[in-house]
Amino acid sequence: MAQLTYRDAVAAAMAQEMRRDPNVVLLGEDVAAAGGVFKATVGLLDEFGPKRVKDTPISEQAILGATMGAAMTGLRPVADLMFSDFFAVCWDIVANQIAKTRYMTDGQVTLPLVIRSANGGGSRFGAQHSQSVENWAMNIPGLKIVAPAFPGDVKGLLAAAIRSDDPVLFFEQKSLYATKGEVPDGEHVIELGKANVVREGSDVTIVALALMVPRALKAAEILKEQHGIDATVIDLRCLVPLDTQTILREVAKTGRLVTVEENPRLCGWGAEIASIVAEELFWDLDGPIVRITTPHIPLAAANNLEDEQLPNADRIVAGVRQLVD
Amino acid sequence: MNVLMPQLGETVAEGTVANWHKKVGDTVAVDELLFDVETDKVSMEVPAIAAGVITKILVPAGTTVDVGTVLAVIDSGAEATASTTTAQPAAPAPQSPPAASAAPTARAAAPETPPSWYAAMPPSMNEATEQYSPRASGEGSSAAVAEAPSQAAQRDGHRRLSPAVRRIAAEYRVDLDSVEGSGRDGRITRRNIVEFIQTKKNQPQQQTVATGTSAAEQLAAAPAARAGRPAPPAAPASAGAVLPFTRIRKLTADHMVRSKATSPHVLQAVEVDFFRVDQVRKTLREAFKARHGHSLTYLPFIAHAVCQALHEFPNLNSSVQGDGLVIHENVNLAIAVDLGAEGLVAPVIKFANKLSVSQLASAINDVSSRARGGKLKPDDFSGGTYTLSNSGTFGTLITAPIINQPQVAILSTDGVRKKPVVLETSEGDTIAIRPVGILAQSFDHRAVDGAYSAAFLDKVRKLLENSHWLVEV
Repeated sequence: MAQLTYRDAVAAAMAQEMRRDPNVVLLGEDVAAAGGVFKATVGLLDEFGPKRVKDTPISEQAILGATMGAAMTGLRPVADLMFSDFFAVCWDIVANQIAKTRYMTDGQVTLPLVIRSANGGGSRFGAQHSQSVENWAMNIPGLKIVAPAFPGDVKGLLAAAIRSDDPVLFFEQKSLYATKGEVPDGEHVIELGKANVVREGSDVTIVALALMVPRALKAAEILKEQHGIDATVIDLRCLVPLDTQTILREVAKTGRLVTVEENPRLCGWGAEIASIVAEELFWDLDGPIVRITTPHIPLAAANNLEDEQLPNADRIVAGVRQLVD
Repeated sequence: MNVLMPQLGETVAEGTVANWHKKVGDTVAVDELLFDVETDKVSMEVPAIAAGVITKILVPAGTTVDVGTVLAVIDSGAEATASTTTAQPAAPAPQSPPAASAAPTARAAAPETPPSWYAAMPPSMNEATEQYSPRASGEGSSAAVAEAPSQAAQRDGHRRLSPAVRRIAAEYRVDLDSVEGSGRDGRITRRNIVEFIQTKKNQPQQQTVATGTSAAEQLAAAPAARAGRPAPPAAPASAGAVLPFTRIRKLTADHMVRSKATSPHVLQAVEVDFFRVDQVRKTLREAFKARHGHSLTYLPFIAHAVCQALHEFPNLNSSVQGDGLVIHENVNLAIAVDLGAEGLVAPVIKFANKLSVSQLASAINDVSSRARGGKLKPDDFSGGTYTLSNSGTFGTLITAPIINQPQVAILSTDGVRKKPVVLETSEGDTIAIRPVGILAQSFDHRAVDGAYSAAFLDKVRKLLENSHWLVEV
């Protein structure tokens, strides 16, 4: 078991899969010579050469168009979109083409591709480079959505994403790139669509994703120590497929649900989970469902305001206490 | 060998493991109880089909999986050596006792300020999204919100109860006035009521609480795992109280709605003179009872006539599939059995068209007594092609039954009563007293038309009225 950073885990997963399958290739802006703008692909060019690790011109549409074509003709490409905000210029390719091809060809053409991107806030990049855009993708049938919180999961889930025959959007939280964690040595693959119960408690179930997972865990410690409230924390890891079984099981145990989302409020994934829980577990709920999100406004440029907007441990503590106390 | 999720009916695609009777490391014998499974309509016990040691349990209780999924592994060669090897996966941690600081605290009424995510939006945006706000925004509209909900609730003496507390209170008939609430404004939390029930249970003289393994475990467990809980005693529901559906009630409700939505039902009925049937029943009554241990009712005669008639009208012994009708070769007759509070089931008599009246009588007696004893096996529910529903014991006149999907017809047998009947004879009409009952069939108008169904019913009637039943029995 090695201690790796979140960004090193990306490179480790890429290398693992590129060694295993010669069809796996990586393309994107500055992924080769520079090792990625977030240094998440360092060493890949040296090991696998310029044919399999390709720098591209600055055109996100071109990157994803080439990725789609590569996948259609037999490769397993991984595209690096850099900032996830750039999905906004790529939606025709992603939403109308990539997501629908397998269905519209009646399964004759699969697109085993991965689009990696640096998602989310907390790193002082301003409103146009800090968004949590996983909900944008969640509206489109045909895409799998992964957003890990820990380096070990980065490696295992990215490997599984590359092996998936369906297109996967892999959201790396850019504020987590420097965090460290244990990553299993050797081949490591985690099945997509399995949430992880990262803390067990009896009073309330907190469901979180990516950057919100460590914050929810911190909040859970404060709740236990200062308020005697024992929280379960679920790391969703994937939005599609969504592990509703784990969510329902853990919410049924405590009777209380709090979702913590980095995205702006309206139509966030937490609303979907709240709706599922209300439908399936209404008679087990011991209180209203609470959603903690970023307010429904663009992220501020000022550091102190950005920190204020994103849900933090204190806000999670307050949200849970409002429900449980 | 692998233990698979059984197929419990032809339309059933998945099942839920309700609980395991064995754990990893246990030795199991053939036909020994292994686990309980729940599915559309039924909850049943599944015995082991091989002897050996359980080496793996892959699907924990409470989990729903597809038919055919491997649930556990039995090592048939390991009987002798087993028992100490594999430990069971750790059970979920028990609920910790309520924390000291969770004592009731006086609280202000519900906040009048809007939630932070909402307040942070500029006025132009937040007017547009006002509909999303659970409360009117702060100033300006406070007049519209006369008082905070909790104040109003307390003044009116209403209780604000969570859905979980409501459900548990209804199921266990808990008098909420005697439960102390530790939640905000003295609200009763789920833990309060669970602990209340536990305390009551530990006082044997007060048997108001249903027995079970552990009330707390059952109440707190996921709903799928909760199905084993005892049925709530039939209590007069207080006005306005919500009596939550039991699992079987809900499944029945879903099936009925689905059937009505799927099949355009048409009801047709014929009046049948059971004179000949009655004569045979009278003749054989004592001998039959002595030989078979149960009495000879009208139902096996009707079942026999239906099977014969279906041979001539096979389109009623079928299922609609896509744009076509799948005709079944044999009649697998489902018999609706009422289990009272446990709901309604329809076990199937396979190859009913090959059975004599007395064999049908024994088969009907067998499935209905096993249904009442909860001893039906998965296979008893599969493959039904036509259903008989018998309300006759209550003396009903006519019943419009709902089709048991994916079948296309169902026959209701109602009460048989003595009535004056006009008989046409060669010496002129005469009035006789005859045992008469109505047979009512609902059929799926997608599958057949009214004339076809009517001709079938006429055939059933003629068979019942004219057969030489002593020969058929």
